Amino acid sequence: MNQVFCRTPFLKQLVGLAGLALSGFVLSHMLGNLYLFKSPEAYNLYGHKLMSLPGFIIIEWGLFAVFLLHIFLTIYLVIQNKKARPKGYAVSPKKKAKASLASKSMQYQGVLILFFLIWHLITLRYGSYNTVMIDGKEVRDLFGLILPIFKNPILMSFYVISILLLGTHLSHGFSSSFQSLGFYHEKYTPLIKKLGVVYAWVVTLGFLSQPLYIYFFYKA
Amino acid sequence: MNLKLKVWKQEGPDTKGYFKNLEAKEVSPDMSFLEMLDVVNQDLIKKGDEPIAFDHDCREGICGSCSMVVNGDPHGPEKAVTVCQLHMRKFKDGDSLVIEPWRAKAFPIVKDLITDRSAFDRIIQAGGYISVNTGNAPEANSIPVPKVKADAAFQDATCIGCGACVAACKNASAMLFTAAKISHLEALPQGKVESQTRVLNMIGQMDKEKFGACTNTGACSAVCPKEISLKTIAKANSLFRKAAIQKS
Amino acid sequence: MSKLDSKVPSGPMSEKWTNHKFSSKLVNPANRRKYEILVVGTGLAGASAAASLAEMGYKVKAFCTHDSARRAHSIAAQGGINAAKNYQNDGDSVHRLFYDTVKGGDFRSREANVHRLAEVSVQIIDQCVAQGVPFARDYGGTLGNRSFGGAQVSRTFYARGQTGQQLLLGAYSALMRQVEKGNVELLTRREMLELVKIDGKARGLIVRNLVTGELEKYSGDAVILATGGYGNVFYLSTNAKNSNATAIWRAHKQGAYFANPCYTQIHPTCIPVSGDYQSKLTLMSESLRNDGRVWVPKDKDDKRDPVEIPEAERDYYLERIYPSFGNLVPRDVASRQAKYRVDEKRGVGPTDTAVYLDFKDAINRLGKDAIKEKYGNLFQMYEKIAGEDPYSRPMRIYPAVHYTMGGLWVDYNLMSTIPGLHVLGEANFSDHGANRLGASALMQGLADGYFVIPATLGNYLNSYKLSEVTTEHSEFEKAYNTVKNRVDTILNVKGKRTVDSFHRELGLIMWENVGMSRNRKDLEKAMSEIQKLRQDFWKDVRVPGKATEKNQELEKAMRLADFLELGELMAKDAFMREESCGGHFREEHQREGEAKRNDEEFSHVAAFEWKSEKDRIFWEKHKEELSFEIVKPSTRSYK
Repeated sequence: MNQVFCRTPFLKQLVGLAGLALSGFVLSHMLGNLYLFKSPEAYNLYGHKLMSLPGFIIIEWGLFAVFLLHIFLTIYLVIQNKKARPKGYAVSPKKKAKASLASKSMQYQGVLILFFLIWHLITLRYGSYNTVMIDGKEVRDLFGLILPIFKNPILMSFYVISILLLGTHLSHGFSSSFQSLGFYHEKYTPLIKKLGVVYAWVVTLGFLSQPLYIYFFYKA
Repeated sequence: MNLKLKVWKQEGPDTKGYFKNLEAKEVSPDMSFLEMLDVVNQDLIKKGDEPIAFDHDCREGICGSCSMVVNGDPHGPEKAVTVCQLHMRKFKDGDSLVIEPWRAKAFPIVKDLITDRSAFDRIIQAGGYISVNTGNAPEANSIPVPKVKADAAFQDATCIGCGACVAACKNASAMLFTAAKISHLEALPQGKVESQTRVLNMIGQMDKEKFGACTNTGACSAVCPKEISLKTIAKANSLFRKAAIQKS
Repeated sequence: MSKLDSKVPSGPMSEKWTNHKFSSKLVNPANRRKYEILVVGTGLAGASAAASLAEMGYKVKAFCTHDSARRAHSIAAQGGINAAKNYQNDGDSVHRLFYDTVKGGDFRSREANVHRLAEVSVQIIDQCVAQGVPFARDYGGTLGNRSFGGAQVSRTFYARGQTGQQLLLGAYSALMRQVEKGNVELLTRREMLELVKIDGKARGLIVRNLVTGELEKYSGDAVILATGGYGNVFYLSTNAKNSNATAIWRAHKQGAYFANPCYTQIHPTCIPVSGDYQSKLTLMSESLRNDGRVWVPKDKDDKRDPVEIPEAERDYYLERIYPSFGNLVPRDVASRQAKYRVDEKRGVGPTDTAVYLDFKDAINRLGKDAIKEKYGNLFQMYEKIAGEDPYSRPMRIYPAVHYTMGGLWVDYNLMSTIPGLHVLGEANFSDHGANRLGASALMQGLADGYFVIPATLGNYLNSYKLSEVTTEHSEFEKAYNTVKNRVDTILNVKGKRTVDSFHRELGLIMWENVGMSRNRKDLEKAMSEIQKLRQDFWKDVRVPGKATEKNQELEKAMRLADFLELGELMAKDAFMREESCGGHFREEHQREGEAKRNDEEFSHVAAFEWKSEKDRIFWEKHKEELSFEIVKPSTRSYK
């Protein structure tokens, strides 16, 4: 492969591009899950419809590939970055060299989010397959899967923390992707920064509302 | 005022370094930071000790020689200055100052606070110029350059090559330095001719020098004595992508 | 006293350079790569010369003391670069730039060199623009200009207050391009400590590697010194801390004549010394005198805060003495008048060694915003250093050493009295006479490097049959041992005083006696004090550390040892030049406080040849008579 495609700015652009694709997925995931507030049936039906889409498997594997790209390129870059400063400073910056915590700890957030994601997939996507009948259709009882998790204070807290991390990750990641991809504009770049923060809040609040609602308000 | 100093001492690139505790006594607020170190050094010499080695030259913030991290901040706490322009009135009596060299794989320590920044030269060498031989130039006014473009080029060209951007970046990335030159030359019509080879070669060299990747934290621009904008990095990123795709 | 041959070509002034280029010997392109050229210094002159020669095909080795070629002190030049482009249609021409420069130099420069400088100034701008130097531009996209002291036209090209930086980065990038191509080998953190002569010709260098301390030998066919000026002999100056005279002084001791050492430019507007820890002085651009008014209190016991001193009790002395030029008199005049005020005990500030530069009236007239727009960065710089707000209080300023017009003597080909040794930029004496005009230093450095030396070097290379020389030659061993002994001697003094304490003392002697105003008695005193200090230095200096490592004290000590000899020569030249001209002001030769030239006896370049006998050093003076074909000498008057 041509060497220029191994240069860090190019790899960063791939990471950013993958990140933006994942941001889109995360948003749609959050929005779809809002069926939860309608009724358990609506929630399960939405899940069923989604998984019965014609190219679902292809989309799912595509998404998986994007995840892998995002993760492995980042791992490679993080290793390079660590090597670039073998010995660190004794004191962390006090005044001007301060970068936001969100931007400095992207890779750590990423690792934690990955743990959550694996658990999330194991318990839900690849969790036990029970079905219920809705409107004469046999659909997977996803609601039944999440209910005990969200009702469990420990698991629910884990969920909440992970979502907060995801929100932090997105708040820097969204606008940072644009910078990596080389988009900079006097007027629009500050707007994208704001948009990134708004987007991160929307996703975070949307996702948070679900376990919190189930835990505190939902009565079976 | 009196200050407590913890200064990095290291004999050479491969020896182990350590912090030396020193005191700076009767420091005048009108002294520059380097003059404070001069006074400390004079005392050390008189006592039969070796002085602290640090790079410095013009002492007016333009040569880019001076390079030290003061309490975690490259060039110290004040914005938009080099450490030679930093004055002691920014500190208080009794303050403790930890003084370290730039730390990066690509900038090996020569001695104490002195580092070898020749990696920057090699990045410029790879393409940070317009290829024009002496005597080959057309009449200066035959290439009009819009004022806005000329001003933008100047802004990016003010980089002094001190390396504070690398020192501040958590990844020791040289992206701001490299991008500032790319962006300077890109803004001018005469610089556009070699745009693609320049960006590919300079960034290729930057990676070879073992600088880290840019993760857009913005620390570089925040410590830059000339306040070079992050915009240059975005510009370099997009030029690089286009060049990489078109050239291969 | 013998006569020096300047090799100025014959013919009319405006055709000399063209004719000379035509009659100069050329080196065939295929042969150029057989020649190895050693270039010391990578400032404007050195970097441009190294790059241009390499482009032509010569093999070049370039040396600099910094960690990068980009850090040479040319980078600190603020104001701009002159060129006779006449873009402003205000009557400028090559002839006018030539005329202004000869007159500004108080008729002590070589006309033919100055004319050549004015001619090539035009090409310099073209070259720099092509390299991507971002000069200031007008809205139409064409280049902008501003005016500078000593001229009635706008011919100064500039890049805000950082023109030197932008020009140097241009030359540096051209140099790095040749490094990439393999035509230049760049050796950084190397300091030249000896010139190696073989058969009387400059054939090599002994260079100290400033990282390892190793002494390295390099041989070549010609040597080019572009190592800048020697203002740091005064300890406090606007020069960078590492600027030094060692390279030219080593060459001088090998036989290169030193010309006009006493011509020193003292810049009137610098931020004054604030304490005895002071390490260097910072310039405030000459342009400030367009709007600032210079004053001191009328009463010498007036210690009030400046803002409380009423108009009637202020002495705007430049406006009083020079009603027609007012605050905009040339640098030497403004500096001298400031000194007189301090000598009268009317100086201001904590140490009583400053005068006020007041913007109050300009702010009242134009508004604070307009002043900010014009001088914002300078005001900010002042605020950072002095810790006072110049918008509400007058600036405190005082003159400081800025530039040295003197340097190694060179002929029209820029070759010194040692065959093969060429000297460019501030390191030579050639173009500025007794006083340099603003924005001319950058012009000269680049003219020498880009256009003059590439054309004239062939004359030397083709005139002699140069024998094959390697560093195995016994002269290299000899020079190596000389340097090694010097290093060892200095390290083994193991005295009590630090290098800086000697340097400060030398600086003070120079400033008090060989500074803005000089007289017979003080100069005699300076010479004997310097001799005494030199002896003390070799007996009592303390240089810690080893020779075989990065050792900044050793570097400083080696440079100071040379300054301690050069200082004496400066005083000697000043002593012998019984007249006042440009930056050289002898109190005995004045007309109501103004410089009085003596064209009858001193219309010459004083070139000194180094001599020594046992422990005694002395110089023999040689003369190059100056003749003025075009610009007839007259008295400068600014009243």
